[in-house]
Amino acid sequence: MRKWKIISPLVALGLWWLLAGLGWLGHTPTPLAVIKGFGHLVATGLPPGYHLQGHVAASLVRVFTGFAIALVIGVPLGIFIGYSKKLEAAVDPLVELIRPIPPLAWLPLAIIWFGIGLASQAYIIALGAFFPIVLNTVSGVKSVDPRLIEAARTLGAGPRTVLARVLVPGAMPSIFTGVRIGMGIAWMSLIAAELVSVQNGYGLGYMIMTARDLARYDLLVAGMVVIGILGYLFDWLIRLLEKRTLSWR
Amino acid sequence: MKYRKSPVSSRRNTAVVLFLLLALAALALGGCGSSAKTTRVVRVGFLRNDLHQLAYYVAREKGFFKEQGIDVREVGQFNAGPEEMSAFSAGDLDIGYVGAAPAITFAGQDMADVKIVAQANTGGSSIVVRPGVEGNDVAALKGRTVAIPGISTMQDFLLRTALKKANVDPADVNIIVVKPPEMLQALASAQIDAAVAWEPYPSMAVAQNAGWVLMTSQKIWPDHPCCMVVADSRFIKANPDTVRRFVAAHVKATKYIRDNKLEAVDLAHLYTGQDPAVARNAMKNIGFSYLPEAKLLERYVSFMKDAGVIKVTSAPAFTRRLIDTQFIQGGGS
Repeated sequence: MRKWKIISPLVALGLWWLLAGLGWLGHTPTPLAVIKGFGHLVATGLPPGYHLQGHVAASLVRVFTGFAIALVIGVPLGIFIGYSKKLEAAVDPLVELIRPIPPLAWLPLAIIWFGIGLASQAYIIALGAFFPIVLNTVSGVKSVDPRLIEAARTLGAGPRTVLARVLVPGAMPSIFTGVRIGMGIAWMSLIAAELVSVQNGYGLGYMIMTARDLARYDLLVAGMVVIGILGYLFDWLIRLLEKRTLSWR
Repeated sequence: MKYRKSPVSSRRNTAVVLFLLLALAALALGGCGSSAKTTRVVRVGFLRNDLHQLAYYVAREKGFFKEQGIDVREVGQFNAGPEEMSAFSAGDLDIGYVGAAPAITFAGQDMADVKIVAQANTGGSSIVVRPGVEGNDVAALKGRTVAIPGISTMQDFLLRTALKKANVDPADVNIIVVKPPEMLQALASAQIDAAVAWEPYPSMAVAQNAGWVLMTSQKIWPDHPCCMVVADSRFIKANPDTVRRFVAAHVKATKYIRDNKLEAVDLAHLYTGQDPAVARNAMKNIGFSYLPEAKLLERYVSFMKDAGVIKVTSAPAFTRRLIDTQFIQGGGS
């Protein structure tokens, strides 16, 4: 099975190389140009002096802060909503109303509320990651077999024990799904979060937008690839964590 | 997991993949085919709500394009110059109103084959300082945080020029990128001390008491180029007469704005939805002249070349190639 994993990236790379090389994709840079662009980002930086390492570090801080906020609020809220029908009825309409609004649309408000620094960027990213985490947690809690809860109660378990020993472990696989999707959307929201301003001149999203302004599509695509790789790595880490935590299954 | 695929389904998959590839190829080829027939239809792009490009709006509203017998089709309204230039790259635009900076950037990177056929405006930017910052000259910016709309933009160059004139080392100023709509908020909440932006943002900042004008760009660099009328080189080659007609309408509109200031303000208000008082103030800071000055543009091209933003061997030669004023008739500016 392992060797199958490299097929789709290789096919995509081959197609890209072929079509860009033939000039069928307009001014799309070839993979080779993008690799050179990657070297430029590491050695020279964009803007010059602002190296890729710094952009990655700055974006990691933003993605982590936003994601952590989404996680810390999203999981407990999801558990309570899944647990209580009344709470679900009360909260669900608001959640469904806010959920379709793209993070980008919140940007001007976020800046009024939190300024142009980390707070507003974390808010935008948290907003993106929040909903998949909440909704998957809710569905995870609901998926726990009611007979298990009954059995625990019959055996004398109080509400706390039921929550900690039955509901949360039972919802774990679904929570992990939400966390994985949430992490992906956190990276997707990065460009929106860094679109208006970055105070220290660093950020992958900011770097990509600068490459666009300067018509350096090789650097732009290199930045996209970096985000893709980082997102892949984090997804892999979360899956590893999932395997470890859910080894009882 | 182990399973065996039936040979039939795998053959079918191959067929599907082949079909998709062919479809993609057909699409790509279809996109390349363009007729070389002459046309009176012009696909135009411009920047949304940009007062610098008022001549376009005036020419449209006053029927100057119709007078010239050309059919102007608005195919793109853009938020920013680079997006508009990428539409030129894609071959979706024939003529566009756009800033000199993105036009030079894309031409200098061979990302778009365009010529500057006329100028839309000069000046039109300002350094705005938030209330509470002491001092009333550019030297007051030393040690402060100053926002520009982007790296190597005209505003970046204007700020560096102003700092140089005031003997301030740019390294002593914290220059950050903030998009103009958000500059106002950042000024009002003291997250930045000053900002360099194009109109109407400086006038909006003043109207909202978020800042005061430290220096207009006219003072920093008199009659500096700003927005341009840019045309696709292939379109120029195939339809020189259509370009000439378009430029004639643009020249007429530019003169009209100069001769009818008050009406122009009203039109500016209609065009951008901007408060009339703000539009009036903003218009004072914008010069409307249609003849691009090679010497002035060259200065900016040199700045971009030195910054490593464009890969051109000679700034004067590149500038000469970029400007094509043959369509401007009757002289003047």
